[in-house]
Amino acid sequence: MQYPKALEDLISEFMKYPGVGRKTAERYAMFSVIDLKNESINDFSQALISAKEKIRPCNICHHLTDKETCDICSDGTRDNSKIMVLETTKDVFSIEKSGTYRGLYHVLNGALSPLNGIGPNELNLVSLWKRLEKDDVKEVILATSATQEGEATAQYIKRVLREVEVLVTRIGYGVPVGSNLEYADDQTLNKAIENRRVF
Amino acid sequence: MEFGQGIHFIIGSNGEGKTNFLESIYVLALAKSYKTSDLVLIRHQEDFAKVEATVLSQSRLFDLSMIISASGKNAIINKTSQKKLSDYIGHLQIVSFLPEDMNIIKGSPRERRYFFDVYMGQMDKNYISNLGNYKYVLKQRNELLKKMNQPNKEDDLLLDVITEQLAEAARPVVEHRKKFIQEINLFLEKQYHLFSSKNEYYRIQYLPSIETEIEKVMKSKYRTDKMSYTTNFGPHRDDYDFYLNDVMAKDYASGGEQRTLILTLDMALAEMMKDRLKEYPVILLDDVFSELDYEKQNKLIQYLSKIQAQAIITTTSLHELNQDALNNVKVFHVSKGHIQEEKQHGKSSKV
Repeated sequence: MQYPKALEDLISEFMKYPGVGRKTAERYAMFSVIDLKNESINDFSQALISAKEKIRPCNICHHLTDKETCDICSDGTRDNSKIMVLETTKDVFSIEKSGTYRGLYHVLNGALSPLNGIGPNELNLVSLWKRLEKDDVKEVILATSATQEGEATAQYIKRVLREVEVLVTRIGYGVPVGSNLEYADDQTLNKAIENRRVF
Repeated sequence: MEFGQGIHFIIGSNGEGKTNFLESIYVLALAKSYKTSDLVLIRHQEDFAKVEATVLSQSRLFDLSMIISASGKNAIINKTSQKKLSDYIGHLQIVSFLPEDMNIIKGSPRERRYFFDVYMGQMDKNYISNLGNYKYVLKQRNELLKKMNQPNKEDDLLLDVITEQLAEAARPVVEHRKKFIQEINLFLEKQYHLFSSKNEYYRIQYLPSIETEIEKVMKSKYRTDKMSYTTNFGPHRDDYDFYLNDVMAKDYASGGEQRTLILTLDMALAEMMKDRLKEYPVILLDDVFSELDYEKQNKLIQYLSKIQAQAIITTTSLHELNQDALNNVKVFHVSKGHIQEEKQHGKSSKV
């Protein structure tokens, strides 16, 4: 049996979301139609529209914000001498949640991957070089992921920054805190051994 | 169906499904078909193919199952889906002789690389992940080369970075292949006389595309790579030569000599796996008798009985074989895709 067209349209809208397949989309659609009150539906659609309208990348670091410049970049108490380079805006939230880092960020919006059509010009790199022209930045912390793409991106930035007087560091990768060595896979262990330090 | 230790014959006329049966064990062991596409395994108008078996390996029982469908494959151990195929492969070890293997010596380098990769992977799962990693970086580099039509310094720098990654990924693959061939030659040496009483000997030589200073060599080939839009040097262009009494088997070995060489190599691989993993792999021999003479057929049976490995052999009939050698073998008949055990075979076979 086929769904009525309006319901089918709603299902295909939900299926556009990452991680949502047909079954889940059907549940969401049914839930919207049967369980949600009219006002909730109204709030939901308003929230979607206003988020899309108001949220945009920060004009300095490209982190998502509802202002011209994001709260982190405009926070005067943060350490202006450090910039942490990240792949996505989600990563900013992860680092912020951990609470120890007090420097600034730069969101690249991806990682270098010819297979995914992402070259240097597709990333927010030019704006990063511009930020480094000012003298106050002393350290660039490369926190791209420990994947082939993340590693290529970190190497690429490191190579460009050879000509700039700034300390370039890479965050450590290795065994997750609170886990036993026996559960770590070979590649993680190899990385952890490679990145060992004097103790 | 149950298979124990020792020799099992699968008998049937051509086209009845003998090879399909061996192929299902191959797929269960290696999580892929030896044919170019896994999808040919799926029966016409069906959605997926599934193979299941319980195997006893390293004194432990494992339930293995492989499901192959158009949307991908699922490798399952003890009801748990394995995220990485390198965690799956190695639970059921095999050595196989297939009619296709006749192309190894004279065929393309790709067939030789594939042949050895299968065995290196079964003996060391790090090899599977190292090779997978290399192939992934290679894809990235080739894609970049395809896109580099106008010169610009951003792309050149990225090519440099990815080339360094590729060289780094190539190193463990080349080292592994080099060591493996050194070792297999030692096992091959012990098997020279398996089939031949003549003073014949075999040797395999590894021909790496780049052996040392991989990064330097790769970086010196930018021009060639850019002109051909692809990576021309690296482990994906490695090759192996087979020698028969110091002459290249590729040029001089007859069909019969090639077959004997490959079978001897298969048995050397079985011995190497026994040495590494403390137990023999399952030995799969597809239609191996049709082209061996009487003496060699019986030598093979003798050898397999002696080592007591689990061997599964397809053939059209047993009449040609020395009947004395067929004690304690199990016999199955295949017809129209169905397989059935023969209750009583020969004088003293067990039921």
